[in-house]
Amino acid sequence: MKKCLPAAALLLLILGGALVLRLAPYDYAFQDRDATMAPSTARHWTGTDELGRDRAVRVAAALLIGLTGATVAAAITTTIAACFGLLAAFSPASIAAILMFVSDIFLSLPWLFLLMMARSLLPLTASPLETAVATFLVLAALGWPACARAIYRGASVLRSAEWLIYGRACGLKPRQLVRLHILPHLRPLILPQFLICVPAFVVAEANLGALGLGVGEPMPSWGAMLLELDNSALLAQSHWVYLPIALLVAVLLILESFAREGETNA
Amino acid sequence: MRSLMHPSFVLASLLALLPVTAACQAAPRQPRELAWAIHYDPKTFDPAKVDDEASELVRYLTGGVLLRLNRQTQQPEPQLAESFHVSPQGTAIVFKLRDGLRFSDGTALTSADVAWSLRRVLAPSTQSVVAEEFISPNEVTIDTPDKLTVRVHLAKPVVGVGKIFDEIAIEPANRPSEGRVTSGPFTVAEYKRGQYVRLSRNPNYWDHDAAGATLPYAAGVRLDIQNNREEEISLFLRGEYDVIDRLSPEYFGILAQKSPQSVHDLGASLNTEQLWFNQSSGAPLPDFEKAWFQNRGFRVAVSEAIHRADLARIAYQGHATPAFGFVSPANKVWHNDDLKYPREGVADANRMLAASGFHPSGNRLYDSAGHPVKFSIVTNSGNAARQKMASMIQQDLAAIGMQVTIVALDFPALIERLLHKQDYEACLLGYMNAEPDPSSMMNLLLSSAPNNGWNPSQKTPATAWEAEIDKNMRLQAGSGSQQARKLAVDRVQQIVADQQPLIYLVYPNVLEAVSPQLHGVQPSILSPGPVWKIASLRRQGGAR
Repeated sequence: MKKCLPAAALLLLILGGALVLRLAPYDYAFQDRDATMAPSTARHWTGTDELGRDRAVRVAAALLIGLTGATVAAAITTTIAACFGLLAAFSPASIAAILMFVSDIFLSLPWLFLLMMARSLLPLTASPLETAVATFLVLAALGWPACARAIYRGASVLRSAEWLIYGRACGLKPRQLVRLHILPHLRPLILPQFLICVPAFVVAEANLGALGLGVGEPMPSWGAMLLELDNSALLAQSHWVYLPIALLVAVLLILESFAREGETNA
Repeated sequence: MRSLMHPSFVLASLLALLPVTAACQAAPRQPRELAWAIHYDPKTFDPAKVDDEASELVRYLTGGVLLRLNRQTQQPEPQLAESFHVSPQGTAIVFKLRDGLRFSDGTALTSADVAWSLRRVLAPSTQSVVAEEFISPNEVTIDTPDKLTVRVHLAKPVVGVGKIFDEIAIEPANRPSEGRVTSGPFTVAEYKRGQYVRLSRNPNYWDHDAAGATLPYAAGVRLDIQNNREEEISLFLRGEYDVIDRLSPEYFGILAQKSPQSVHDLGASLNTEQLWFNQSSGAPLPDFEKAWFQNRGFRVAVSEAIHRADLARIAYQGHATPAFGFVSPANKVWHNDDLKYPREGVADANRMLAASGFHPSGNRLYDSAGHPVKFSIVTNSGNAARQKMASMIQQDLAAIGMQVTIVALDFPALIERLLHKQDYEACLLGYMNAEPDPSSMMNLLLSSAPNNGWNPSQKTPATAWEAEIDKNMRLQAGSGSQQARKLAVDRVQQIVADQQPLIYLVYPNVLEAVSPQLHGVQPSILSPGPVWKIASLRRQGGAR
């Protein structure tokens, strides 16, 4: 029962977010210019931001965009890491050393500047959706090396496993070996990597957004909404300003509990 | 990367976004001392080499000048000079100094000191920014027929030459002292880098009040170097600071709640916020986009679709004035009161677009060749009001079918795109106009100017209306007749309103806070704001 709580909470948040988006009469970009920084009203349950945009709708959209983007990015980065780690683990030692050297180089790169560079390469006319996709793709492209190293270590141990030698002796092809035996054996290692990446990417996107490098306006993102906290004048006007950070912390705690559970099970 | 993206790290960094509410403290105030904050260390105390705002303020407070620009009437008034006379040709100015002038160290101030100070400013080796205002500084000559007379000869007339002398501090000849020996109301007494600049009263200052009491009233001024606006406001509310100049609308609102009698909205400033399209034919943009931006109807439609009153009300919380031209209504001498500008309204904008070859399809707009009208607006990051305006313009233009993306760039990257690569479609930016005289707009409006917003550094004007702007701007710069100058500037304002090369949005208001205990303040929208009559300022009750 206790283990189900985080999943139920996350499901509730996702359903709640989807429901808000479905029922609200406005989209996330609509500016109700006669109701800027409005308190809770029947029209705007959690008030509005400085441009009169419904806070509940924007927070719900940011939640769904952030979670979807982070989950997809985590899946991509884990896939890249798994491929890279397996390739290194089942290659001759010299090639494995080269591959891990490449991975180490990636690890030592100044990722923030790389992200900034990658974002600045986007054309100025890139739509908000394109900037969102690009942001999460860049995160996925830069997030794999640490996972790859962990998977490489795990897979290296399997290389001399008896069942693997037996499988080879039975004439299984490498692709069959990976699909039928190696991946199932590595699942307790890969799954936690994926679960760790999801909150990490949610947070990374929030950080990028706070630097003005994330998802483009008017599409909502955690980072852009958290910037409101830097304005004490706004904090004095409405307590709903704290809604995004409260929700983000809740989401991170839930995702963290998944990751912890994944690691424990591994 | 993992460690930097780890939730615990980021939670810490998110918390860092929360306002710091640590207790703040200012240096102890000395008796009868005025105090306020400046945001950066002055780069220099040498009045001839000033080129930043903080140094300019120190020069204003310490430097004695021949003439001072009255910040309310915008006319130069005698200071160290008892009188001055400009020749009818505008090429000679004769200053008559007051008798008995002395520097703060007690030595006499004569025409020799004035001539030395002027020559020092004009010398190329000084690299003074002020010298450029003489247009040909190396051709300016100075002679001193007697101890109280100074004659300045110019090679050619300079418009508004009187105000230039407001920026030249008179120092003791051959004894530059970096503000330690001055002829102004204060002298530099102490400077602690990153902490404060302390000025002390000049006991030999020339001016007196109506009752004959020597000025300045204050015993000194302490300028705290303080870049934290919240801390500055907190210290102001505790009575540690006497003034805050140029408040943002957000902080104005906070102060208005806590100390309503302290805050003042002086109305429109001289500064403008505007949007413009890249009309440069050499810009790396598709030809059809250049054709849009060079199309007057397109620009006028955009201007008509923007709800300026909303921008002023929401982005500036009501502390801005809708703008339709480059001369603010606060600039009463030069503003064209009969200016005719495009009417605001979506219906008018749609009509203008239809007449210019654009057509809607669904909720999108297309040009005659079928290209969807979409472009980006670049602006600088870190300016909340500007980014709010950009978001609002994005929605306003969506109403006429234009798809706009907003890109906030850091300032160096933005300038690189605007001035060097010209790789942008539209830009939203503001101009700070320190000078009320329209001559200061030459470098923005002339077609040949490198800072011309819409199409810089043109060899010859690309259009007839740009040629007419050039002609009128040159006419006003060279004419000795105020009436002819006004007519020329009025015409330029009308051309800009008709053609909309710069789509003016708002004039941000001048917002300031003045302690109710401070007396003698005369409000002004010009720098240095509430302290421009520094010699006459005093705190109620003297020592606190």
